[in-house]
Amino acid sequence: MNIIEIKDLKKDYPLGNTIVPALRGVDLSVAEGDFMSIIGPSGSGKTTLLNVIGCIDFATHGSVKVGGLEITALDDRRVTDIRLHKIGFIFQTFNLIPVLNVIENIEFPLLLMKRTAAEARKRASQLAEEVGLNDHVRHRPAELSGGQRQRVAIARALVTNPDIVLADEPTANLDSVTGASILELMKRMNEIEKTTFIFSTHDANVLKYARRIVKIKDGLIEGAPAAA
Amino acid sequence: MKLMLTIAWRNILRHRGKSLVIGAILFTGAFLMTVGNGVITGMAAGVETNIVNGFMGDVVLVSDAQKSDNILLPLMGSSIEPITSYKRIKPILAAQPYIRHALPVGKNLAMMLDEKTDTPGFAYLIGADFEEYRKMFPDNFKVTEGRYPRPGERAMLFPTFARGEFYNFYNIWFLPEGGAVVKEHLSKEALAAGAALPVSSSVVMMGMTSGINSTNDLRFPIKGIVEYKALNQIFGHFCLVDIESYRECLGYFTAADMAAQVPKEEKKLLALEGADLDSMFGGEDMMVSGAGAAREKKKAAPSGAAKTAEDGTYNAVFIKLNPGATYKRALASLNAALTQGQAGVRAVSWNKASGPIGSMAVIIKVALFLFVTLLFCVAVIIIVNTLTMAAIERTAEIGMMRAIGAHKTFIAGMFLGETAILSAVFGGFGITAGVVAVRVIPLFRITTTNDILQILYGGNFFHPLLSLSGVALTVLQLLAVTVAAALYPMRVAGGITPLEAIARD
Ligand SMILES: Nc1ncnc2c1ncn2[C@@H]1O[C@H](COP(=O)(O)OP(=O)(O)OP(=O)(O)O)[C@@H](O)[C@H]1O
Ligand SMILES: [Mg+2]
Repeated sequence: MNIIEIKDLKKDYPLGNTIVPALRGVDLSVAEGDFMSIIGPSGSGKTTLLNVIGCIDFATHGSVKVGGLEITALDDRRVTDIRLHKIGFIFQTFNLIPVLNVIENIEFPLLLMKRTAAEARKRASQLAEEVGLNDHVRHRPAELSGGQRQRVAIARALVTNPDIVLADEPTANLDSVTGASILELMKRMNEIEKTTFIFSTHDANVLKYARRIVKIKDGLIEGAPAAA
Repeated sequence: MKLMLTIAWRNILRHRGKSLVIGAILFTGAFLMTVGNGVITGMAAGVETNIVNGFMGDVVLVSDAQKSDNILLPLMGSSIEPITSYKRIKPILAAQPYIRHALPVGKNLAMMLDEKTDTPGFAYLIGADFEEYRKMFPDNFKVTEGRYPRPGERAMLFPTFARGEFYNFYNIWFLPEGGAVVKEHLSKEALAAGAALPVSSSVVMMGMTSGINSTNDLRFPIKGIVEYKALNQIFGHFCLVDIESYRECLGYFTAADMAAQVPKEEKKLLALEGADLDSMFGGEDMMVSGAGAAREKKKAAPSGAAKTAEDGTYNAVFIKLNPGATYKRALASLNAALTQGQAGVRAVSWNKASGPIGSMAVIIKVALFLFVTLLFCVAVIIIVNTLTMAAIERTAEIGMMRAIGAHKTFIAGMFLGETAILSAVFGGFGITAGVVAVRVIPLFRITTTNDILQILYGGNFFHPLLSLSGVALTVLQLLAVTVAAALYPMRVAGGITPLEAIARD
């Protein structure tokens, strides 16, 4: 079954008097449990595509279904709920809440979901262990390395058992060794938690981790629109 | 909720500088408001105590013909309307269980006559039965020179404040009969005169009423010099005189006049009832006054005439209520009884009867409230500014929270939480500090001889008082500040979209 179904997705950005077409008719299907990479040159529309899938940005035209639910015409409340319940995010930077420590950051979405504190702490601890941050649960983000921060972000993205985890250039701010370890972790989590991962990159080195690669250029998917 | 407050609290700690600035303002506002309220409540209580216990009681009866309720210091030229129906009023008052004491008095302005000066000076006269007056106000003043008059004696008690004023005006230093100059009591100006100080122990007054033209000049023998225990600046204008002299001076019907008119049969009756009151007129040196005609009439009257002192004219009745009485209810039922009994008078509260002095506390309270409100407005502006900047600074962080599923309400709540915590902590400290200050200040027993300060102190020493309503008002203000200050930053923060956060990097 496809967790994501995108049909003729267009996204225009107004820029002064002109319009910048960031996506110009994307068709894409993503199978459940996939580990997919979106690659493309700078300005090709990777971030835009991930944002629309993640309900952070809105389509100008077309249909986007996440878990069978059409997300293109929902109000802020609903969209926020989808972000909370169905999607996990890993950003390039600004990943964590600075005033919360590692374990609190990981459990944050669960508390937003009104899970009990004990339940949330239990699940968060489990994920902290899975991403190898057992010894750092009381640290604040400022006391962590970039790689460690991304591990926290991965744990947090997975803590709610989302349908998809979206990661926009998760390794761009890391050195190559750390970047590789992050991708390995993501891959392992994909295997443990069976969560669908979509990550963007323009770094050819990380492509080897991807099970499926989608190329994007000038707002269009290149090559055959693969389906599962 | 807990999560929201946790984040809010930690953000406060993270931005300590800003938090302290906001906190300091909230602290100051809450502190000032609490202390200010304490001072004003204390003042109001002091003024009340002093006026109620020292001057006019809880309730004052005035004639229905009397336009203004304010009889303490009415406008120049407007006199207090006479009450001629005390005979009818008395049983009504006696029937009210909540009344402890009633004292009928004459009260009006009198002009002081002096041969040497063209411009006259003024003093208020309070005419009352000395014995009854002392029962009503046992310790509102102390006699510093001379003595308290005997019952029924023709006498005037002259206040220290008026003595100082009159000296400056007439260059006469008043002494009680048979008294000598007490050097320590001389005012600065009088002291300067040295041995050549002109003295007098009587004063000629002419009653001032707007209605009656037949007022008289009357020479009052000064029996004592009195000093009011508080609010000398106000009370010190009032000379206490015996009611008969007062009536003569004002041209009112005196008891003697009335006695002359009372039919024989009735007089006999009255004589039986009032036998024990003989003592009232038993004093040796009664009628020292120069009102010869009145004396003649009085001499003609039998001893029963004493009873009819209450038949004469008054201007007001000062009433003290029983300690447990509910004020408003007592006032209402008294008025109902007076109306029903066609007494020709109405009951007014002490603070209405004392005019601007009674309402001064309210005015100052409003002024303080406005001042603190202004302070809080400034606080709101600063807090709004600071928090809005904080919201903008934290755009990335807030956008990220929104991206991972935090609703607008959560973000807004976080900001409200920050303000609320600051208000609660610093405002709470402010109120607590204010409460402590209000509690501690009276222990120092700060006294003053300054008249204006004495009014502000509400008595002879600074005694701020805490009122629950004052504290509640401060809490309400803080609450309003919190909401007002958080509203705009909440909107700004809630309006931050996840996209904005990402657009940053
Ligand atoms: N908010 C915006 N307003 C106007 N134009 C935008 C906006 N965001 C993106 N664009 C434009 O849309 C196009 C696609 O941008 P996008 O950020 O998706 O590219 P990208 O593939 O993520 O690039 P990069 O690899 O540099 O991150 C670009 O031409 C960009 O200039
Ligand atoms: Mg991008």
